[in-house]
Amino acid sequence: MNFAHLHLLLNHFPVIGTIIGLGLFFLGLSEEHHHMRRAGLILFAVLAFITIPVFISGVGAQVMLRKAGISNAMIQRHEGAAMLALTFMEMTGAVALVGLWQSSRMSRPARWNIAAVLLLSVVTVGLMARTGNTGGDLRHPEIGGLQEPTGMEGTLGSFVHTFEPEPDKISNLMVFTKWTTAFLMDLHFIGLVLIVGTIGIYNIRILGIAKQMPIAPLHRLLPWGLIGLGINVATGMAAFVGAPEDYTFNAVLWLKIVALGLLGLNAAVFYLTGLFNHVERLGPWDEAPMSARVVAMTSLVLWCAVITFGRYIQVFQHSIPRVSN
Amino acid sequence: MAVPAFLDTIEQTSVSRWLRESESVFGFYFVLLFHTFGLSVLVGASAVLDLRILGVAVDLPLKSLKWLFRTIWVGFAMNVTTGILLVLAYPTKALTNPMFYIKLSLVAIGLSAMQRIKTRVFDDPGLSEAAMAAKARSMAIWSLLVWTGALTAGRLLAYTAPYLVYGVRGG
Repeated sequence: MNFAHLHLLLNHFPVIGTIIGLGLFFLGLSEEHHHMRRAGLILFAVLAFITIPVFISGVGAQVMLRKAGISNAMIQRHEGAAMLALTFMEMTGAVALVGLWQSSRMSRPARWNIAAVLLLSVVTVGLMARTGNTGGDLRHPEIGGLQEPTGMEGTLGSFVHTFEPEPDKISNLMVFTKWTTAFLMDLHFIGLVLIVGTIGIYNIRILGIAKQMPIAPLHRLLPWGLIGLGINVATGMAAFVGAPEDYTFNAVLWLKIVALGLLGLNAAVFYLTGLFNHVERLGPWDEAPMSARVVAMTSLVLWCAVITFGRYIQVFQHSIPRVSN
Repeated sequence: MAVPAFLDTIEQTSVSRWLRESESVFGFYFVLLFHTFGLSVLVGASAVLDLRILGVAVDLPLKSLKWLFRTIWVGFAMNVTTGILLVLAYPTKALTNPMFYIKLSLVAIGLSAMQRIKTRVFDDPGLSEAAMAAKARSMAIWSLLVWTGALTAGRLLAYTAPYLVYGVRGG
């Protein structure tokens, strides 16, 4: 397998998934179908995660396409569309998580949240479709038949394009000003501290340390962990865009993404199997069940793994060969 | 100002050379990893205390968080240990950089802010929860600002060093 395979394997999920998510969320607007709304929100959060490896594997595929003689203008068009779609996908995922948080606290998300999810996900569906289109043009010349991007675009495509970033310019911005990187990495550490502080203390309590703390109020710290996560997704992806090939061909970055995916699964087990509701009822000195402890321990181990892989990214640049089949 | 020769002496010791030049994953980056773990424990615990004092998760009793002050010292101990090793690996790089002294000062101020919160607020059994939060409020704000500054100064060490090793200009 190579990056082109991986990209093709994953890239249909965000394009089709956002349409399904929007459908579920739309049907779930009426209170009697609130389960559909919840499913839509969860799907958006999952897609926000999946879109990251889609984007990163795209850079690997791009290197192969250049070798195959595909026009650079076409590739840049697709990458610019992908950057904008990724941005909106991550924003949709962020407001979806806020919505899930609000539904757990107040039985339904706030009005502004529902409006924001609806608006952002509609825009994301459109941008994903455009990304899929410009990407399809790269490998299916029978559809467009041209090697020149503007020739095959309608008015809408050209309009959207005026908002799309130019990948080369963005990379240059990051590479040529070390202070941009310094600033991003500083924020990345602040995000890290917020995540470790809030999620760490919650997991530690579930494991049975400092049992004088009641669990439910501790969980109210979690939005600050999510703010940290948001900061780190944004600064991490910005750093990636600055030097994409240092990260794509990096085995440790992929391990970090796998660990983050497992953390997502672990969180899903915790929140969707009733463990969360169980531990919410525990007061000071109450013991959490063994299953909750296993989930808490898994979370701590995986976060340590994420930090470890993150720390070693620099060391393992270009650890994946560029040409592989 | 001339760079003192003892920095060169330190760099030539076998410990310093191994930390700096070893290809092993347990070399320099391993120490740096534990410095990162240490800072996330130290600043993470401080941040949770500060956030609670400032009104996040108000239903969580402040008194139940007193154990975090010990955690802060665990993180600090980790970072003194790993920090010494990092300076041993790159003594010229660290000690010729003004940012290094700014960072150490900010860490000292951050720690003393947390210690003040402990002795003046958490060690006073007569204070109610509300009185504790009110009394610690401005110290918590200062603590958050100072820790942000300390993290920033620490990160900037990588970008502001005038020398990489003895006799080799950086930046």
